[in-house]
Amino acid sequence: MEPHSQLMVEAPRPWARPLVLVPVFAVVALLGAALPSFSGRATALVLVAGGPLFWLGLSARLPRHRAPRRLPSGAAWWLLPAGVLFAVEATNFLLGSTPDHPTLSQLADIPLAGYPCRAAAYFGWLMAFWGLVRR
Amino acid sequence: MSLARMFAIGAFTLVFVVIGMIEVAARRPGSNIPTLGALCGFVMRYQVRRLPVGRIAVLGFWWWLGWHVFAR
Repeated sequence: MEPHSQLMVEAPRPWARPLVLVPVFAVVALLGAALPSFSGRATALVLVAGGPLFWLGLSARLPRHRAPRRLPSGAAWWLLPAGVLFAVEATNFLLGSTPDHPTLSQLADIPLAGYPCRAAAYFGWLMAFWGLVRR
Repeated sequence: MSLARMFAIGAFTLVFVVIGMIEVAARRPGSNIPTLGALCGFVMRYQVRRLPVGRIAVLGFWWWLGWHVFAR
């Protein structure tokens, strides 16, 4: 039998199951996407949604995937997109983050102006946050 | 659209394409490339004494990113 690379220490709690979390995240995303940027309510929802996730991620309340103790040499491949992303983002930021030199968040503002895309991105942010909590 | 803007959009697109390609390569059997999740897990293991600096940094960055994108 092939050994598992990602072992769970214990079974997840009932409320931490996808059947519970996915609908909750979907509702938060649908609500959050309706809130305008630069509003107190939008900030409050990010704080209310992210706070418990941040706290859960730091606590030992949930089982985590087993992380590697050492990285294989192939990990260096990740430096390529990271380096290009940093270089382009930093250059455009230093050039004033103008329409001619847009940062990533400035470009993301265009699709995120639409509700469906904003809700999907919000949901993705929450799901990825959950994935990091379990790491 | 200016050439500089086209270059920026092209570069960001290329970054995400490359990320996708590396992730696919990492998921192939026998690959010596870690997945993005495994890489995050490795970074999150980092501690200074008993302080989980890696976890605080990664989770804090992701929380900030959500605020930056959806609330700022």
